[in-house]
Amino acid sequence: MAVSEEAILRSELRWTIVVTGTITVIMVAILYAGIVHHINPPSNIETVDPKTLHLTGEFTEENLGTSIDAGGQITARMVATQFAFQPQCILLPANKRVTLRFASPDVIHGILVTGTNVNTMIVPGYVSQVHTVFTRTGDLLMPCHEYCGLGHSQMWATVRVVPEAEFKPDGSGRALCDAR
Amino acid sequence: MKPADLDDLDRPWRTWASLIIGGMLAFSIVMGFVVIPVVQGYGAGIDPFTAICRAVGLVPGSPSTRQPTSAAKAEPTTQVAWSTQLLRTLSRPTDMGAVVAEGCVACHGQRGIASDPQNPNLAGQSAVAIYKQLHDYKTGSRANDIMTPIAQTLEENQIRAVSVHFAAANRRSLDPTTAEVVDEDIVRLVERGDPARALPACNSCHGFSAGGPIETPTLSHQNREYLARQLRAFRDSSRRNDIYTRMRSVSAKLTDREINRLAEFYATTLQY
Amino acid sequence: MTHARRLTLAHLWLAFAAFAVACVLGVWQMWARSPLPAPLLTANAYFTSVTAHGVAMAYVLTTFMVMGFGYYVAETALGRPLPFPRIAWLAFLVGILGVAMAVVTIFGGTATVLFTFYPPLTASPWFYIGLVLVVAASWAWCGIMIAAMAGWKRENPGRPVPLAMFATVANAVMWLWTTVGVSAELVFQVIPAAFGWNLGIDVGLSRTLFSWTLHAIVYFWLIPSYIAFYTMAPQAAGGRLYSDTMGRLTFILFLIYSLPVGMHHLFMDPQQSNAFKFLQMSLTALVAAPTLLTVFTITASMEIAGRLRGGRGLFGWIAALPWERPMVLATGLAFFMLWFGGGGGLINMSYGMNAMVHNTSWVTAHFHLIFGGTVVIMYFAIAYAIWPTLTGRTPASLKAQRVQLWLWFIGMMVLTLPWHYLGLQGQWRRVATFNYADPIIAAWGPWVLVSFAGGLILLASAGLFIWNLLEFHRARAVAFSALRPLYAVAVHPPARVPAALNGFALWNVLVLVLMIAAYGYPIAQAFWINAPQAIIHRVDGRG
Repeated sequence: MAVSEEAILRSELRWTIVVTGTITVIMVAILYAGIVHHINPPSNIETVDPKTLHLTGEFTEENLGTSIDAGGQITARMVATQFAFQPQCILLPANKRVTLRFASPDVIHGILVTGTNVNTMIVPGYVSQVHTVFTRTGDLLMPCHEYCGLGHSQMWATVRVVPEAEFKPDGSGRALCDAR
Repeated sequence: MKPADLDDLDRPWRTWASLIIGGMLAFSIVMGFVVIPVVQGYGAGIDPFTAICRAVGLVPGSPSTRQPTSAAKAEPTTQVAWSTQLLRTLSRPTDMGAVVAEGCVACHGQRGIASDPQNPNLAGQSAVAIYKQLHDYKTGSRANDIMTPIAQTLEENQIRAVSVHFAAANRRSLDPTTAEVVDEDIVRLVERGDPARALPACNSCHGFSAGGPIETPTLSHQNREYLARQLRAFRDSSRRNDIYTRMRSVSAKLTDREINRLAEFYATTLQY
Repeated sequence: MTHARRLTLAHLWLAFAAFAVACVLGVWQMWARSPLPAPLLTANAYFTSVTAHGVAMAYVLTTFMVMGFGYYVAETALGRPLPFPRIAWLAFLVGILGVAMAVVTIFGGTATVLFTFYPPLTASPWFYIGLVLVVAASWAWCGIMIAAMAGWKRENPGRPVPLAMFATVANAVMWLWTTVGVSAELVFQVIPAAFGWNLGIDVGLSRTLFSWTLHAIVYFWLIPSYIAFYTMAPQAAGGRLYSDTMGRLTFILFLIYSLPVGMHHLFMDPQQSNAFKFLQMSLTALVAAPTLLTVFTITASMEIAGRLRGGRGLFGWIAALPWERPMVLATGLAFFMLWFGGGGGLINMSYGMNAMVHNTSWVTAHFHLIFGGTVVIMYFAIAYAIWPTLTGRTPASLKAQRVQLWLWFIGMMVLTLPWHYLGLQGQWRRVATFNYADPIIAAWGPWVLVSFAGGLILLASAGLFIWNLLEFHRARAVAFSALRPLYAVAVHPPARVPAALNGFALWNVLVLVLMIAAYGYPIAQAFWINAPQAIIHRVDGRG
């Protein structure tokens, strides 16, 4: 072979520079998303007891669904349980920053909202929290995407996104799908 | 080759490998632990210290968003909460169980098998399920003219004991020749559910090895009339002590025919 | 060939038998998910099948393939008998016992928890103990591999360990690190719960421990394929390895960067923080490096072969390669799939984009393409390359082998490309039946059917593969001396290499540093934030 050891080393080094450059470009793109667009994965380490979830606090049955707090922050709370979401439909306004909070009383679940970047695992013991802005109106499908038992395939909910003008919470700051 | 030469050959590898890996770690820590959270927190009006604590996981919440508040004041649908201690006591038989059970035999039968099919069989039922229902009667989460006053006289340890007692009893035996041939769509509902209605298979909670919710009762060998009545009660929300509407949401999707046939199925099948 | 021959045959036959069964199950699962009515479909049957498919492909096929191939390499690349053959056989028997326990519990309906260990859903303890036995068998293998290399080094002081063996030991060392996470999860959390000693479990901790194993395990499966890329493919093509040093560096990079990166499986989890997710994400980005280096080095090695065979011009050498040889063909097809799969992987690792695809069919498609495609097609090629040396027989024509490889490649592309698309549309994972009455989901139907067709092609290929293996046992005998050597020589074979490229002491220290930085606090936090435990949900009917 005519290729000298030096030449091989040089070519490998050149390629290593290309590899380093490729990885750098990827890292810069991710840093850009984090710093400029404030993209974070859902990671608030907030504990909640799955055994008493239904007894007290924000994840009791009557407290679930969408509500607006005194500061105007819109939060939808949902429980993922074997094998349904409670409530099975949440109402949210389009083009406004909303917070989704999930908890599980039993096993691991997870959700995504089709056609959006909303995605989180729901791990018993922790509150999962996602911040997003829905830009499309209509009924979006929100399936459970982690195996949670034999009824997993039939576990999904609806996210009903309405134009901002049609989003009218009641006197106590709550908005439910059925109320429309 | 002398050992010293070998060491000369190796040293740059050691040095550079350590430097590169150390550098990558330092870069990631500076960016991930400091730069990103501080910049994000600045945009959301969160002070740098809090933002860093949130990013690292010392404080709950996101470095880029204010935490929502909650002023929840809702009545729970049941007062029962499972703990590992409670579940352990529900697997240990006591002498008290048979004594308390004396008060149950008139309606639920000597060995937990009711003579009147309006009443549920208790024999072989899960202790956890019996415990929850008795407890719910006692606290008013579930109401029944006969059961509520009875449950209110029972102490916590009596409820536990009697639950374990009936769970240990043998189930009603069925004559396999009387088992009805059930409609295919009902078997489908039991084994596969109905995707179009978001109905999970009954089996996914009530099956023998389903791994569903803790308090799930077993249904096979249960009385037909009792089962149908409870499904209807869940459907019109006159019974609402199921945690997170698990049974209310399921039964709301069932037709009258399906309720009757499912009750029939579970009352006459030997499986599940 | 002495001991290792029968040992290798036993391991590989077990691996490929599990593979064949798992292929049948996989096709049935595709059928169940499609709009067509599938036979025998119940929720229980579907998830039992998914569990069996996952366990067979991810634990049985891989572990026994890696072990069998490792024994083979230790004897052939080092040219000395395998040390501790009795322990190797004992480990094999322990592994078989473990597999049998898993099979009995899965098909007995007491282990429908899929192949990932995500409590509170908890199977029969014997399911987990069976899988622990499989891992224990692989630990014995790791010890034998390390002992084989140490013995050779004692006899050959100062000489570089042959690349194939160096890579095998890199895999063994990596596997010892890798299994720490899942072993801790099983021994301290899941198995006590499965026996009923604990009724509660810290789910966040169990997911974190499992993630420790979850990425590096994939590299454990992958490394035999990379060994074939570096040593067998250039040899089969009639060329030489472009750079021996790059080969060593690649396997070292796998050892280092496959471990402190598992948290990229937890990007969407609430129990880990942004900062540590970022840390592990940037280390994940570096895992691209060994793969990109391999693409270059192997392409260059192939170019040497092509030009030696008279190939001219910028791309003429490609046409000049001996594509009729299964190893060369498989390498080409594997690279093609690696290109797509690797690109998809870059999207998975970006923690912003991950939200688009996490737990969708995209992920299923990704690991089927990378593992089922790139890795398994090289398992086929390895089998075709070494089987004549195991049985002393080879079929007269290699056509059936080439057809099998092409079918596998086509089937895998037809299976996974629609899956990737459906994942982007939001089709989620691990579902037995879809609601095709929903108009959005109804539009997915035709693509699911295309995937199903891909599955059928794969099944045909798997059947042909088993038939081809049987041919090696009944075809005409060949003299062992007539067989070509398996491992390529480098263009400039190294006379000596630095200790860093001839052993793993330095790299183990660096792995330790990285693991402490990446996983130290994320695991420790479980002990001071004291997340409330979740109640165990048993699926074995004992609860």
